[in-house]
Amino acid sequence: MPKVAYADAALTVWKGRDVPQFIDGLSTNKTIDMVKGEIRQTVFTSSKAKIIDLATVFHMGGFFAVLTHKSKLESLLKHITPRILDQDVSISDVTSRNTFGIEYACSNTKVGHFEAHGGETYGYVNQHYSIIVASLDTGVQFDTQAEPFHEWRIENLIPWNETEISSVHHPLSAGLEHLVHPQKGCYIGQEILVRMLSRGKKGKILVKVKNGDVAEKFITTRGEQQSLAIVREANQ
Amino acid sequence: MDCGTCETSGPVQVMTPEVVHVNLTISDKAQEMLGDAFGDDRSMALLVGVLSGGCSGYMYDLQIVEETDQLCQEITVDGFRVLVPKASSHLLDGIEIDYVDRLMGGGFKINNPNAESSCGCGESFA
Repeated sequence: MPKVAYADAALTVWKGRDVPQFIDGLSTNKTIDMVKGEIRQTVFTSSKAKIIDLATVFHMGGFFAVLTHKSKLESLLKHITPRILDQDVSISDVTSRNTFGIEYACSNTKVGHFEAHGGETYGYVNQHYSIIVASLDTGVQFDTQAEPFHEWRIENLIPWNETEISSVHHPLSAGLEHLVHPQKGCYIGQEILVRMLSRGKKGKILVKVKNGDVAEKFITTRGEQQSLAIVREANQ
Repeated sequence: MDCGTCETSGPVQVMTPEVVHVNLTISDKAQEMLGDAFGDDRSMALLVGVLSGGCSGYMYDLQIVEETDQLCQEITVDGFRVLVPKASSHLLDGIEIDYVDRLMGGGFKINNPNAESSCGCGESFA
């Protein structure tokens, strides 16, 4: 399967007895029931339900490794660290010690789990792609030609950081509805997202379009023949 | 992922707000209800804290406790021992503890001048 560099990934290690509740209480997906060896994605949202960042959570046993994005790490930490208060939560940035990649066009069967092969950890995020985290001393190099990867994700309607996953969109319009748990308890932005879900209205949605079919301003990722766009639901 | 190296890395800077001396008030109705809850035993204390989470980011935490392992300010308000965790003192200065007598959505309520917004149920604020 092809592999491409995930250059914008950031990795932090979260330790402390309150970490499971802390992540669960601040993000859209249910993570509190995770066990060692599981991986799950969730979205940290603002009080207006806009995306702060998509996080991929690895349950490592004694601690959690949380993969987010370098471009959003500062705003994410600014959002979460004032909320630690008295809780037993400490966060370390280990981005510079690792290298990151995506293996795509897969048919993963171990979705929701991760496993190590040598110094490389494969996180089976979903059926279609895996996130690879490798320590620098493995010397692993990933392809830096991202175009084939972006063509593939356009074809498969997969949102990505900075294009669809951005602070101007909420998770439902960015193609991340599967990461908004319908029954979990309160988290920041929940009231808005639950109201949209219960009314069946998302406002805007992520779609795949042929180039030229929608105005340029709606395009989020442009491909050779087709593109991803976030458009008003009513227009579809 | 090299967990060995992960464990030796330093923590990121966590924003720690300044501890403030908390002033709070308890409404007459809330005093009456707290009086019922405490009875004659005034060795117990009312812990007024804040937890992260809820629809707006922070949730109030009211408990009657003997003591707590949290680092707290202890103040006396209208004869009640009140404990306020230092870590959340900046969020609680100036609050009024009230009691709303209603069949639905009634109970103790916090009126907080520091809150920019609150969620519908009143337990969560930002």
